[in-house]
Amino acid sequence: MNTAVHPITGGDFERAGSASKCLKEMLKKIGVEPETVRRTMIAAYEAEMNVVIHAHNGTMDIALDSDRLDVAVTDQGPGIPDIERAMQEGFSTAPPAVRQLGLGAGMGLPNIRRHSDRFAIDSTVGEGTQLRFTIFLASHEAHSATRSSVLVASPFCRQCLRCLHSCPTGALRVRDGKPQILEHLCIDCTACISACPSGALTMDCTARPPQPSSDTVLVAPTSLLTQFGAEVHPQQVLEVLRDMGFADVRFLYEWEQALRDAVAEYAREEAESRPVISPLCPAVVNLIESRFPSLLPNVAPFLSPIEAAQQALTATRVVVVVDCPAQQAALVSNASDARTTVMSPAGLCNEIAPLVMARKDAKDATLPCPDHANDAPHEALHVSGISHVLRVLESMENGLLPDVPLLEMFACDQGCPGSPVWKEDPFIARRRWRVAGHERRPGVEAFRRDTPLLARAGLRLDADMSKAIAKLGEIAVLTKGLPGRDCGMCGAPTCAAMAEDVVLGRTDIEACPYLPDSKGTPYEAE
Amino acid sequence: MELHTLAEKTGAKVITRGKSVTAEIHRVCAGNKISELLRQASDTTLLVTNLASLAVVRAAALMDVPGICLVDGIDPEPEVVKAATSQGTMLIVSCAGMSETCGHLNEWLAHVDKDGS
Repeated sequence: MNTAVHPITGGDFERAGSASKCLKEMLKKIGVEPETVRRTMIAAYEAEMNVVIHAHNGTMDIALDSDRLDVAVTDQGPGIPDIERAMQEGFSTAPPAVRQLGLGAGMGLPNIRRHSDRFAIDSTVGEGTQLRFTIFLASHEAHSATRSSVLVASPFCRQCLRCLHSCPTGALRVRDGKPQILEHLCIDCTACISACPSGALTMDCTARPPQPSSDTVLVAPTSLLTQFGAEVHPQQVLEVLRDMGFADVRFLYEWEQALRDAVAEYAREEAESRPVISPLCPAVVNLIESRFPSLLPNVAPFLSPIEAAQQALTATRVVVVVDCPAQQAALVSNASDARTTVMSPAGLCNEIAPLVMARKDAKDATLPCPDHANDAPHEALHVSGISHVLRVLESMENGLLPDVPLLEMFACDQGCPGSPVWKEDPFIARRRWRVAGHERRPGVEAFRRDTPLLARAGLRLDADMSKAIAKLGEIAVLTKGLPGRDCGMCGAPTCAAMAEDVVLGRTDIEACPYLPDSKGTPYEAE
Repeated sequence: MELHTLAEKTGAKVITRGKSVTAEIHRVCAGNKISELLRQASDTTLLVTNLASLAVVRAAALMDVPGICLVDGIDPEPEVVKAATSQGTMLIVSCAGMSETCGHLNEWLAHVDKDGS
């Protein structure tokens, strides 16, 4: 059980409501569903205002348990001579000046009783009143995250701690001489892979080249076409791939463009929440599920391009070469599809590099003209890079983007060409792609999502609300006792994360090198 | 209809924009008693009231109400505007009285229901 006490000062209308506000913050942190929060706020605010209006002072005592909230509001005041009468709607003893403020209308006590599950009141004239109410809690629907698709190659770790500070969700720790990923927090973006200078973090899928066969379709990332220098046209890379012997070679841009068209129409015709967020990048969708669940209604209800490709292709075998862990995770989560093999691009790149370079001087009159069809729609705000995405989502959550109808966001700089799996600079790669132009294949469509996106339970301290409540209190106390340097020397990105780790049993408090009882610096900076 | 659009349509004067100008408003809730407003308030409600007090702003914030419309051309005190601004609640003022303001607001909301636009 977690308890808290908030003082209430009689006659202080300026601060009235602050105890209720603290209670609201607690309920949100443990994931109580919105309608229960709403009922609680009505009861708590009415009870708090009763003290402010009628008493000299009082307290709001809060007790949070696994399935219930108990609130006791106790005051030192005149007391209530006739409780039965006081419970009647419209009966009031508030002075006229208070009534002019819209308060003391004789509806407070009935309102508390109506919006709580249990209600009791005791009063002694000349001493004071105690009002107690109980609300039974229900938690928000949420889902657990799938397994992280980032692989830790421990021997390469130099313990430089760069990955710690790069992760947008605080999912990284460096302990026992290696990075550790808290999978429930990982959104499978490439931030840590990009930050790691030694290759200790990489994609968790095979890098061997795919084996061509007549019953296999290859789905290749668009960025692959621009990785072989200025003298190699993307169309020449495409032809090398087509000559390898696959039944067909498809590219992700086909489904990207189909999604762009579908989302633009959705934004014009159907969307109720704006700005509409296009689900082009699975890492951004993961980030919204994890850190910005209030924005989930803004995400257009379509599959990401990589998921759409998987759904569209009916071949016996499909080999999908992905740009990043988020694409891989989106495919792996569809465990029912055994036809799909997921690969990182390294093997394929090495396999085709000599063939591509052999063709680089060939002049081909059939190369397509630029059509720029892969550009974002004019009305869309195009955002790339995880730090920019975070800032834009925060602005959006604060209601500061009323002038933006549509958002296209990518976790990597310049979109998928910015993934650390690619060698070419993303700005150069993107320009090369835009200038080259490409063919559009007819009949490629976006797919509606069958099941809605759900908030991730990842940020909750415990799936069991009672345990989450207890841990909330422990973390607050521990954080105050830590130095607040957020240096990462303990292996956690911040002191608050360190406190959470200690409470959740991931590490020991002595890992902090700045505490008097510390056993020393556990990691040496590079 | 989005809150800022509703404010524009009704010609109300915007005092402070708040953080939820794009919030969808489904219902108008009018009253001059805090308890009445609390009962009906939600994150899709616009409160219409002649109470330009801190108590209304605090109640709105607790109930996640995105906006408050004051009626009768009331000029709110600076501390009320400051509280609304800091809590991110949109504050607008209508020159008309309570019933006339509600009539206009409901007309626009009904217009959305009918047309879906």
